[in-house]
Amino acid sequence: MEFEFRRRDYRAEHESQLLPRSRTLKHPLSSTLASRQQQAKTVRGSDLDFFDPLMRLDVNASEEEEKVEDASVSIESVTQDLMKEWKSLKRILTQRFPVSKVISFSPVSNIIMKGSKVENPSTLPHLEETGSEQTCVEETAKMINQQDYIAKVHELRDGITSAWQGGDRVTSLKLSIKVTKLLMDTTVLQFYPTVFVIVTDMLDMLGDMVWERIKEKAEHDVDGTLICTLLNDFQASDICLEARETCYNWFCKVGSVRELLPRIYLELAILPCWRFLVNQPLEVVDRLVMMVRGVADTLASLYCRLYMVHRMQKLGFCNSGYLVKCIKDIEDVLAPVIVDKDGYSYISDDKKLLFSLMEPPIEYITKCLLLVGRQENNVLGILEELGFGKNNSQSSTSSSHVSILLHYLLKELPSELVSSQAMEILHMIKCSNDCSFSQILNYRLLGNRLCEGSSQAGFLSSLISEVFQAASLYQTLYDYLRIMDAYVDLLLQNKMEHHLDALLDDIVTLARDKFLSEEEQASLQSIILKLLSHFEDLQEVLPLNHFIEILDLMSGTSKSSVNMHLLDMGTRNGCICDSTTVQLLFEVSQALYDATDFINVKDDDNRQTAHLISRFVEMVDYGAEMERHLMFLAECREAFNGIPELKETLVRSSNTLAVKALKAGKKHINFVKSCLAFSEVTIPSVSTPMKHLNLYLETAEVALLGGLISHSDGLVMSAVECLENESLRDGPKSMDVDSMASVVCKLCSLLVMVPGNPEKGVVEILKSIVSATCSSSWAMPRLKVKILCAIIKLSSTLFQDNLPYRSANPEIIGNDLLFFGDPSYKKELVSCTQLVLGELVDAIEQESSSQIARGNMALEACNCISSALIMNEKVSQLCLRLFEIARGCLGAKDRYIESTKKSLKL
Amino acid sequence: MATTVNVKLSRSNRIYRSYEPVEGKIVIKSPTSISHQGIRLSVNGSVNLQVRGGSAGVIESFYGVIKPIHIVKKTIEVRSSGKFASGTTEIPFSVNLKEDGEPIAEKFYETFHGTNINIQYLLTADIPRGYLYKPLSATMEFIIESGRVDLPERPIPPEMVIFYITQDTQRHPLLPEIKAGGFRVTGKIATQCSLEDPLSGELTVEASSVPITSIDIHLLRVESIIVGERIVTETSLIQSTQIADGDVCRNMTLPIYVLLPRLLMCPSVFAGPFSVEFKVCITITFKSNLAKGQPKSDPTAPRLWMALERLPLELVRTKRDQFSC
Repeated sequence: MEFEFRRRDYRAEHESQLLPRSRTLKHPLSSTLASRQQQAKTVRGSDLDFFDPLMRLDVNASEEEEKVEDASVSIESVTQDLMKEWKSLKRILTQRFPVSKVISFSPVSNIIMKGSKVENPSTLPHLEETGSEQTCVEETAKMINQQDYIAKVHELRDGITSAWQGGDRVTSLKLSIKVTKLLMDTTVLQFYPTVFVIVTDMLDMLGDMVWERIKEKAEHDVDGTLICTLLNDFQASDICLEARETCYNWFCKVGSVRELLPRIYLELAILPCWRFLVNQPLEVVDRLVMMVRGVADTLASLYCRLYMVHRMQKLGFCNSGYLVKCIKDIEDVLAPVIVDKDGYSYISDDKKLLFSLMEPPIEYITKCLLLVGRQENNVLGILEELGFGKNNSQSSTSSSHVSILLHYLLKELPSELVSSQAMEILHMIKCSNDCSFSQILNYRLLGNRLCEGSSQAGFLSSLISEVFQAASLYQTLYDYLRIMDAYVDLLLQNKMEHHLDALLDDIVTLARDKFLSEEEQASLQSIILKLLSHFEDLQEVLPLNHFIEILDLMSGTSKSSVNMHLLDMGTRNGCICDSTTVQLLFEVSQALYDATDFINVKDDDNRQTAHLISRFVEMVDYGAEMERHLMFLAECREAFNGIPELKETLVRSSNTLAVKALKAGKKHINFVKSCLAFSEVTIPSVSTPMKHLNLYLETAEVALLGGLISHSDGLVMSAVECLENESLRDGPKSMDVDSMASVVCKLCSLLVMVPGNPEKGVVEILKSIVSATCSSSWAMPRLKVKILCAIIKLSSTLFQDNLPYRSANPEIIGNDLLFFGDPSYKKELVSCTQLVLGELVDAIEQESSSQIARGNMALEACNCISSALIMNEKVSQLCLRLFEIARGCLGAKDRYIESTKKSLKL
Repeated sequence: MATTVNVKLSRSNRIYRSYEPVEGKIVIKSPTSISHQGIRLSVNGSVNLQVRGGSAGVIESFYGVIKPIHIVKKTIEVRSSGKFASGTTEIPFSVNLKEDGEPIAEKFYETFHGTNINIQYLLTADIPRGYLYKPLSATMEFIIESGRVDLPERPIPPEMVIFYITQDTQRHPLLPEIKAGGFRVTGKIATQCSLEDPLSGELTVEASSVPITSIDIHLLRVESIIVGERIVTETSLIQSTQIADGDVCRNMTLPIYVLLPRLLMCPSVFAGPFSVEFKVCITITFKSNLAKGQPKSDPTAPRLWMALERLPLELVRTKRDQFSC
C-alpha cells in the first residue's frame, strides 16, 4: 500500500477547535438598531416612519430648520413659486398644443408677411407714429409655415434688441408694438399659446430694458456720476425728476397706441416702472383689470389676464383683491360662451379646443390667487367674495359657477378647507353643469381632495349619500364608476360599510348582462384595487357584497392586474389553509396563466406573474390532508406547465410534504414514496441543469431520511448522470465554476451518509464523478481541482472508523459500520485516491491561462493531500512537486506559499 | 471736421415758465481757432396762424399765412467779438423772457403745435464772422408752460358729465337694423382735465342688439382763427384710443383712460384773434358689412354703422406738485 489516510478523531477535533461560548443578554444587531432609532427620534420628533441608517444625524438637523422656515409663507416665496410656475406654464403652453404645420393668418398679422423692415418714420405724422396704421383689407388669408412664423418673430425680437442697443429706442418700441399686435389674431386657436409665449418673452425683455434704463437715469446724472443707489424697496420720492419724466414718457408712448390689446400688453410689460412714479400702484392695477374687460375675444382676454397676473409679480404686488376681480370677470366672460343663444349648452369641437386652451391660464391664475390668499391668511374671505357657499343661505340655485373655474379652485384649495366646506362645494358642483368642464371630473376631484385631508365623519355620511344620488343620475356605468372611484377610499377610511355595500350593489345592477368597455374596466379595476389595498387579508375582502360577481365582470389586462393583486394579497399573510380561498386563488392563477404568454415572452411582468403563482403554490397548506395537498401539487403541475420556476417550487413542496409525513409517523411511508416519485418525475422538467442537481440532492436527502436507500441511490445516480450530461447541454461558457463546485461538494458530503452498494462496488459513485469531471469538456482546470480535492477529502472521511455524522434515520447504517474491518473496502478507497491524485496533477498542469491561478491550485491540492494522507516518501515527493510549481508561479514571498510551507514543515 | 454750434438748455425737458430765465450754454466745436464778431442770442416767441383746407374758403386759402402774432422778440449779446481756441468752447447764457416793467406785446401762451395754429418759442444763436466767412448759427426750441401763481392745484375737482348714447341720440342716419334693434351705452367722462392727468371716465354697454366691433375715444382739437370778418374753424384728430375691442360683455364697466399727449395739447385758449379748444368724441362701431369697404379716412365722421357722442373738453394747467412730471 503506497498511501495511507491519516486517522482522524472528529469529535476531539471539534472540541479542540470550538471557541469558548458565553451567553449574552442582548442581540448584537437588534440592540444597535434600537439605540439608533432612539437617537433619531430625539432629533426629528415622533413622526418618524422609517430610519435610514445612511442618513447622517446632522443632515437631519439642518433639514428640520429648513422646514421651519417653509412654514411661514412670505411674499418672496410666493413670488418665487409663481416664477417657477410661470416657467413651467410656458413649457406646457408650447408643448401641449401642437399645431398643424401650415397656418393661415388673417391680415392683422401682416407684419409677419411684410418682414421686419421699419419704414423711415421721421416724417410721418403723429397718428402713424403711434402705430395706428391702416391695415390693408384683404379677404384672402395667407398661408405660412409655423417654423417660418416663429423664426420671423425671433428675427423681429433681435431687431428690437439691436435697435435698443444702438440707442434707437423709438424703433425698438415700434417693433415691439408690431410684435404685440400678433396677439390680436386668434384665428388659429391652437397656435395662440405658442404666439403668446414668444410675444410675452419679447415683452418681458422690453420691460426689463426699460426698467434698467430708468433705473440708470435715477441713479446717475447725465455725466454718469452716481446720484444715489436705489434699494429694493425704494420710494417714488427717491427718483429724480429726469428719470420720472423719462418713465412717464414711456407710459405716454405706450398709451398712444390705438388698439386696446397691444396697449394693455405694452403697459403690462413696463408695469413695474410704475414704482418710479407712485408708491401705491393699486389704482393702476384696478384700472388694468378693468381695461382687459374691453377685450371681447374670450381667449385673448384670458391670456391677457394671465400675462397681467404674471407681471403683477414683477411689480411686487401681491393682493388678492385684483385677482378676485379678475376671476369674476373671467366668469362673466365665459358665461355667454357656455350657454348659447338658444339657452341650452352643447359642445362643439371648436369649443372643446377653446376650453382646453383656457385650462392652463385658469390654472395659473387660481393657483396664484390661493397662494396669495394663503399668504394673506384669508382664503375663506376670498371664497366668500367669489360667492362660494352662497347657495347655502339662498335656497335658490342662482349662483352657479363655471365648472372649469370651480375645478381649478377646488384643485388648489387647502385640504382642510375642502373638508370643512365639502357640503357647499358639492352643492356648487351640482349646480354647475356646463360644457366648460366635465361635472364628473369635478365630483371626482372633490372625492380625491377629501381623501387627502382628515375628514369629519359627521357630515360625511350625508355627503356620500348625496354623491350617490348625483352619481346615479348618470345612466352609464362608466360615469358612475368614475365618480364613485374617487370616493371608495373615503368609504373605506371611515368604515362606511353600509355605503360600500350599496356601491357594490349598484355596480352589479348597472353592469349586469353587459360587455364592459375598456374604460369601464379600467375604472372598475381602480375601485377593486382600492378595496384590495385597504384590507389586510383576503378573508376580509371575499365576504363583501357581490365581490366574486364583480370579479367575474372583468376581463383582459384589467382582470390580470386585479388577479395579480389578489394573489399578492392572498400570499402575503402566511399559509393559505382555507380550501375555498385556495380554490379561488387557484382559479385566479389559472386565469393569469392563461392570459400570459410564458413561453415566448420573457419580461418583468411575466416574471412577476410566475413568481406570484409559485409563491401561492408554496403558501398553500392543507394541514393534515397531505394526500390532498400532493394532489393539489399535481394539479398545479398540470395547470401551470409553462412556468419553469414553478417546478422547483413543486419539488420543494413535495419534499417538504414528505418530510412532514415522515415526522408524523411510519405509517405514511407509502405517501412518502409517492411524494418522492412526484419529485423525481418533476425534476427533469426544471429548466437549468444546476437546479436539477440541487433538487436531486435535496430529494435524495429526503429519501435517505425516510430510509429509502434504493430511492436515494437512484437519485444520487441521477445527479451524477446529470453531471455527465452537463457538457451536452451547455457550453463551457455558461458554467458557473463556484456554484458547480459547491454542488459537487454537497454531493460529496451527502455521500458520507449514503451506504455504499457492495454489489456495485463501494467507490463506484466516486469513480463516476471523477470520470464525469475529467472526461468532460466543461470542467475548467480550476473546477477539476476543486472537485478532485473534494473526492480526496471524501475518501479520507470514508476511510475513518468513525464517520463525522450520519443520517438522522437510525435505520440507515453508515459505511463505517457496514464495511467495518473490510480490507477490500479500504483498498478500493486508496486505489481510487491514487487515480484521483494522478488526475489532479494533470489538471494543474493543464492550467495555462494564469500563473497565479495555477499556483493557487497547486497549493490547494498540496494542502488537501497533506491533510488527508500520512506523509511518506511518495506523498512528500508529490507535495514538494506541487509546492515547487506553486513557488514557480507565485514567487517565494506569497503569503499562501509561506503558510503552506509552515504546515508542510519544510 | 467742420465747425459746429449747438444750443444746449439747462433742462432736458426744455420746459420753462415765463418768469424763469432760460439758461443754457452755446457749445462750439471747432478744429481750428476762429475769430468772430460777437455772439448774439435771440429769443423769438410767436403765434403762427395759417389757413388751409378745412372750413376755409377758396379766397382765404389764397391768403395762406396770416401775419403772425409776436409774443416776445429780443436779442442779447452773449459775448463781444473775439476768438475761440480750437476744440470745444462752451459759453453759458441766461435770458430773461420778461423784464420787470418791460411792456410785452402779448401774453405768454403755452407752446402748442396744431394744424393751423403754432405757438412756438425759439432760441437762436448767431455768430457772424465777417464777410469772408459764413456766419455760424443754431436754433433750439424751448417750451413755455404757464407759470401763473393762480394755477389750480392738482387734483382739480372732477367735472364729470354723464352721457347716454342710444339710437335716439344720433343725429345722423343709422343702419335700419341698428335703429330697430336699439342699443344703449352709458357712462361718464371728465369735461375738465388737468394736462398732467389722464382723461378719465367710465363706459358701460348696457344693451346692443347688433354686435359691437369697437369703441374708441378720440381726442380732437378745434382751432379757430379770425380771418377778416369770419371765423375759420378747423377740427382735427389728435389721438384715438380703443377701449373696447369686439362685442364686449354687457353691463361691465370699462375704464376710459387716455394719457394726454404732450405738445399736441395745451390749455384751452381763447385769445382775441384765435382760439384753441378740445373735444372728446366717443364712437361706437357696429358690425356691418358696409364698414369693410370704406377707407378709414376720418374715424370721427358720422357713418351708418357708427354712433357718436361729442363732448367738450377743457384742458387746464395745474401747479406742479411733488409727483407730477
